[in-house]
Amino acid sequence: MNITYSLIGVIGTLVVAFIVSLLLPGIERKFIHARIQQRVGPPITSPGIMAPIKFFFKQTISPNSPMPGLYNSLPLISLIVIMVLLVILIPEMYFLGAFASVIAIVGLLKVEEIMYMFMGSLSKSILSVRMPFPDMAKGAKHPETPRTFLEELSTLRAFRLIAFGSFPVYIALFVSVAVTGSIYLADIVAYQQQNGPILFTVAGALGAVVFFIGYMILLNEYPFAILKTKADVIEGPYLEYAAKYRSYVYLTRGFLMFVLATLFATLFLGIAPNILNPSFIITLVVALLFPMIMGVMSAFSPIFTYKQFYPTVAAVSILGVLAIVAAFL
Amino acid sequence: MDDNKPNQTVIEAEVPMGTVHPAALEPYRVRLFVEDEIVRDAEITVGVNHRGVERIMEGLPVEKANSLTEKICGICSNSHIWNSCLVGEKALDIEVPERAQYIRIIMEELERLHSHCLYLAHGNEVLGHGTFSMRLFYIRETVMDLLGMIGGNRVQYGASILGGVRPRCELDDNRIQQLKDGMDLMEERLTAFADRFVSDPMIMSRITNVGVISQEDAIRLACTGPTLRATGVKKDLRTEMKEYEPFDFEVITQDGGDVKSQLLVRVFEIPESIKIIRQAIRDLPEGPITNRSWEMKDTPLTKSYIEVPRGTLYHSYALEDGRVRHCVIRTPSMANIGAMQHACIGHHITDAQLSIVQCDPCFTCTDRAIQIIKI
Amino acid sequence: MSLKSYSRGRAVHVMLVYTGGCNGCDIEIVNCILSPKFDAEQYKVFLTWNPREADVLVVTGPVTKYNEGPLREIYQAIPEPKAVVAAGACALMGGVYKNCHGDIPSEEIAGPVDQIIPVDAKVPGCAVRPQDIVAGLVSALPLLLNAE
Repeated sequence: MNITYSLIGVIGTLVVAFIVSLLLPGIERKFIHARIQQRVGPPITSPGIMAPIKFFFKQTISPNSPMPGLYNSLPLISLIVIMVLLVILIPEMYFLGAFASVIAIVGLLKVEEIMYMFMGSLSKSILSVRMPFPDMAKGAKHPETPRTFLEELSTLRAFRLIAFGSFPVYIALFVSVAVTGSIYLADIVAYQQQNGPILFTVAGALGAVVFFIGYMILLNEYPFAILKTKADVIEGPYLEYAAKYRSYVYLTRGFLMFVLATLFATLFLGIAPNILNPSFIITLVVALLFPMIMGVMSAFSPIFTYKQFYPTVAAVSILGVLAIVAAFL
Repeated sequence: MDDNKPNQTVIEAEVPMGTVHPAALEPYRVRLFVEDEIVRDAEITVGVNHRGVERIMEGLPVEKANSLTEKICGICSNSHIWNSCLVGEKALDIEVPERAQYIRIIMEELERLHSHCLYLAHGNEVLGHGTFSMRLFYIRETVMDLLGMIGGNRVQYGASILGGVRPRCELDDNRIQQLKDGMDLMEERLTAFADRFVSDPMIMSRITNVGVISQEDAIRLACTGPTLRATGVKKDLRTEMKEYEPFDFEVITQDGGDVKSQLLVRVFEIPESIKIIRQAIRDLPEGPITNRSWEMKDTPLTKSYIEVPRGTLYHSYALEDGRVRHCVIRTPSMANIGAMQHACIGHHITDAQLSIVQCDPCFTCTDRAIQIIKI
Repeated sequence: MSLKSYSRGRAVHVMLVYTGGCNGCDIEIVNCILSPKFDAEQYKVFLTWNPREADVLVVTGPVTKYNEGPLREIYQAIPEPKAVVAAGACALMGGVYKNCHGDIPSEEIAGPVDQIIPVDAKVPGCAVRPQDIVAGLVSALPLLLNAE
């Protein structure tokens, strides 16, 4: 009986998470961006639900890539990685021990980031080097220079993202560890159920801000969209995905939005995602609130180059360190 | 070899962009030579859009040739047809009625308004600020409606003809009232936008000291128009044109030469254009709008320079049997290409397209060069 | 209506390719999609710059020689089903540039568009009006909806 109950909890949570995550891009687009830009905007179902279904029914073509199979499987892998991330957040899975800990979450998020690098280096899109254009004309500058695809530029940036760009989100994860004194999710949730959410302490409030910036960086939303700016790399790592693989890309993004918000609810509010628990509604509210705030911020900001990106990340990281220090005081 | 040369650069890779690229909009090819992600050299390929307008104009009757010049560019179409008519009028000694002059000025300044709005919208799009971009497109619609109202077409309105303006473009009381209302609306919306734009810290940090063209470089590279004025050179051909003599306006300059100055020059030129239009409406003389009493004759090569939204536009042709010969057109973007390439260098690759866009390129205007391909 | 057609009608991704027109049509199309006044997104039309994502290719301009190869490659990169909308007089018949003097062919123009890639909908106008663009996109939709 107990096992059936847990199973329903895990599967139900996954299903609800999936459905809500499909709506998030539409909500961001219709209610935030379109409202700010004073236009009607698309129907709420279009960007998140209908677009992936449409791509699912398109002709599957082989992407232009040295390893088409691997390239096409990458979005599916990252979708699974995020799903695992959600599963270990569910209280029924806390028996996994070290797997249900902050360290495992850091590892899974790193895998997600590394995917961008693989995608970028495997994609060879038409839009730059392969464009049939007589570049090597008489009098062309530097004809011997090696030529790079736009996606390789994106790979370079993905590497920077891994190296330090995603620093804020990891520091924010350890704020709750510092407050509760344990890396296990079970202990973190239990501590907050006893002592109240750590969001309402000084360390927690600082940590939440840091987490939010990290959330935007990890989701590559403007102004932190260095991986896929329209100004140079267009869509970066995703350029060659077509048909159903592109729909996985769409689904992954919506799901990542939801899961990161759930992570926040677990670590800072002490509410683990479980559909059988009435406080799941708070998780849903957080999941809706995060993309909305993100939408407002991205609608009012230009894209950052390194000149703005580095100081922002550094400042936010320092804030995160302060939050950890505040946790020990 | 001196290894400590300050300007020594290492080119690690080439990043080609185009001919289809979201930041470019127009088809052109730009090859950026980068070290890490810093642009060390750039090459813009001109000629992708080459359609041979001058060749088509060769041998056409002058009236037809004039309206063909409009098809060179869809943004500054009025400038082309106006300047082409000016060449013909200068050659054939046609006196243009004063009312026609005023209507031409109104069209030209309306065009400057929509061109600058488009420039700012495109600039914001490349900056990544979709909201401002859409806002500017929205503001621009006011002007497009006015142009459509006067000319009958939203884009190519063909106002000027030899000896005046087309009867369709006559301004009656109803149209003048609409123009007045439109200008009030434009001013209100643009002032609100300009305040918001100038005080936005994120945009300002993004565009300050990016894509710098120094004053010496701007003069050396023969920049024209707002691109030159953004480096602090107070030069506007409008102050020297006799058509603009009755009007009172200021020449806007900025000192920086960076993207910020380039954008701000355009932002502050928009109120000046509104000022000119208001003066033109107020002082609009009565009288005919076309002078049809002129005779065709053979003329030597005649040339005309005018100030258009992007800089100095040059048209010249000779007339033989009423047909156009030896037609040469030099557009302002052609002069600014050197500055575009120069401005990219030393900046991050995300800023490279911005550095190109800051000079307000119009490659459809520009493309009359032919590339020689190595066989 | 099957889920397939339903979803295709609810999310249409449009890619723009400019092939050397005079900028007039190009800006009217961008206007149609970016300007809040027309806002094509309310009709479920989304702008994309990636051929792999696109359903409808909107082509303007008379296709100059240098643009012929890129246009063809981009068309091939779009996965089926796809539709092509040629917008503007130049894209339909070469405009003023194609036949420069009577029957003398132009040396610079490779187009019009339907000589290079198959065209499904033609939107006339010089320059095209934003309303017409939306109408042209809609007229190409049945082709997408009924495709396999």
